[in-house]
Amino acid sequence: MEIIRTNSLTKYFGTTPASDNISIHVKEGEIYGFLGLNGAGKTTLIRMLLGMIKPDNGNIALFDKQLTPQFDQWNDIGYLVETPYSYPNLSVTENLKVYYKLRQLTNPKLIDDIIEKLKLTNYKDKKAKVLSLGNQQRLGLAKALMHKPKLLILDEPINGLDPEGIVEVRELLKDLANKGSTVFLSSHILGEISKIANRIGIIHEGKLVKELTTKELTDQLIKKIVVKTSDNTKAVQELLSSNYIAALTDNDEIEITNSEAIAKPENISKLLVEKNLPPKQVYLFTEDLEIYFLRTIRNKE
Amino acid sequence: MKQQIQALQAEFIKNKYSNILWATFIAFGLAPIMGGVFILIVQDPDALAKAGGLAAKAQAMNFEGNWKSYFGLLTQAVGVGGVLVFGFVASWIFGREYSDGTAKDLLSLPTSRTKILNAKFAVYVIWCLALVVSNLLIGLLIGTFLRLPTPETNILFPLLTDYFITTFLTILIGVPIAFFAIWGKGYLAPLGFVALTLVFAQIIAATGYGSYFPWSIPGLYSGAGGEYKKLLDNYSYSILILTCIAGYLATVIYWKTADQTK
Repeated sequence: MEIIRTNSLTKYFGTTPASDNISIHVKEGEIYGFLGLNGAGKTTLIRMLLGMIKPDNGNIALFDKQLTPQFDQWNDIGYLVETPYSYPNLSVTENLKVYYKLRQLTNPKLIDDIIEKLKLTNYKDKKAKVLSLGNQQRLGLAKALMHKPKLLILDEPINGLDPEGIVEVRELLKDLANKGSTVFLSSHILGEISKIANRIGIIHEGKLVKELTTKELTDQLIKKIVVKTSDNTKAVQELLSSNYIAALTDNDEIEITNSEAIAKPENISKLLVEKNLPPKQVYLFTEDLEIYFLRTIRNKE
Repeated sequence: MKQQIQALQAEFIKNKYSNILWATFIAFGLAPIMGGVFILIVQDPDALAKAGGLAAKAQAMNFEGNWKSYFGLLTQAVGVGGVLVFGFVASWIFGREYSDGTAKDLLSLPTSRTKILNAKFAVYVIWCLALVVSNLLIGLLIGTFLRLPTPETNILFPLLTDYFITTFLTILIGVPIAFFAIWGKGYLAPLGFVALTLVFAQIIAATGYGSYFPWSIPGLYSGAGGEYKKLLDNYSYSILILTCIAGYLATVIYWKTADQTK
């Protein structure tokens, strides 16, 4: 079943396209990462998915139901949009009680459970205004998760979290997906999203410029073998004569881009030793995810 | 109905520790205290002579040391001061969601947006009623303490009726402020609107057309405009009620249909 389906979703603010003809399909149990620079249109799309902004064109279906004012499955959805704010004079527990009431929940244990799950027990009686940024983020996530939603829509969920918190949230989201929940999350950090998501959509200037699985992403990253010897010029000639695609860089390093070389770098070492050019350095370079992301959006400009 | 009650309970939780709650009671409670000072001045000819500005004010209002005069002052405080204080209450209840950054968390819930707004309007009415009842109790205490002459029972009922009808009219005219809070996404727009209506209410009432300007009507009804109260007719009350209905509908329709980007 497709949990989220958007069809040619378009939204203009004045003459600026915040969302330009976006069609995405997210299946049950999937973690879909939505990636884009600040201002790329991620939050606009999320607000449209939540019925907060009306698209100028196109339509949205959640759980196979058209998103109209009559949509009645809001308790199957948990969400966090932009910076999570809370009522500053209320404690963590009281803040959650507000949404417990507004979500018409009937099991008070849900509040204590989510407080414990997000490690907010020591802060449950503290006012929201004295919480650290990381704990405010945890409280925002607690509001989104308290009612055990089938679909989670999270806008930059790891903002403000410390490394330990990032790992915890990552594991939490993976666990939820394993139990059948669907997660749609946005971020501007590809490295983080690639660790969580099964599928990634890249948005730039309101357009969906690329959609790929995590496996496809790994395959698309530029990889090369970087070698240094005592005589790099001679080594390049030897490599070329052995049908390797090798070139000397400005940094006086040899870059080899053959897929065979990448698959078996030990053959490079062996060849150079045989030619009396033992390598001082051989390593596999993999393109940084951020560079890949920037390369992708620049190619579309 | 259950959803509406739970929305109301959520609103009560939100306002539990609001400092603003106590600030409005203190600000509104100044009126009966001021009335008490007037009673002291008019009861004591020496104090009247020394009090200067306050004595002049008390005399200008034809203030007398009796319950009728004291109730009249409390009623005028509701009709004129209430426009400001009730406006402040409405600005806070509806504008806080944007100032606290929590508005977006109220938009995609099983409790409909209209029910959430209705709960806010209910809290607004309860808050304003609590303010006027509180002033009444403070007034009764002060009046009793200052030994105002026991009133005849037949004047008490009309005084209380005037007090609560003025309250009702002032509460109604505060409703459109909710729209400005939601449209302006915070406190500034509604507070600016309240300030403007207060200024215009005074100017228009002074020109004799206050009976057709909704924000002047509670003040005129309270007696703050003296003989102008006689100008109020069915059209006046219809204008006020229509303004209230228009304000309510504008608030609900805007919150349900406008793009929410904050």
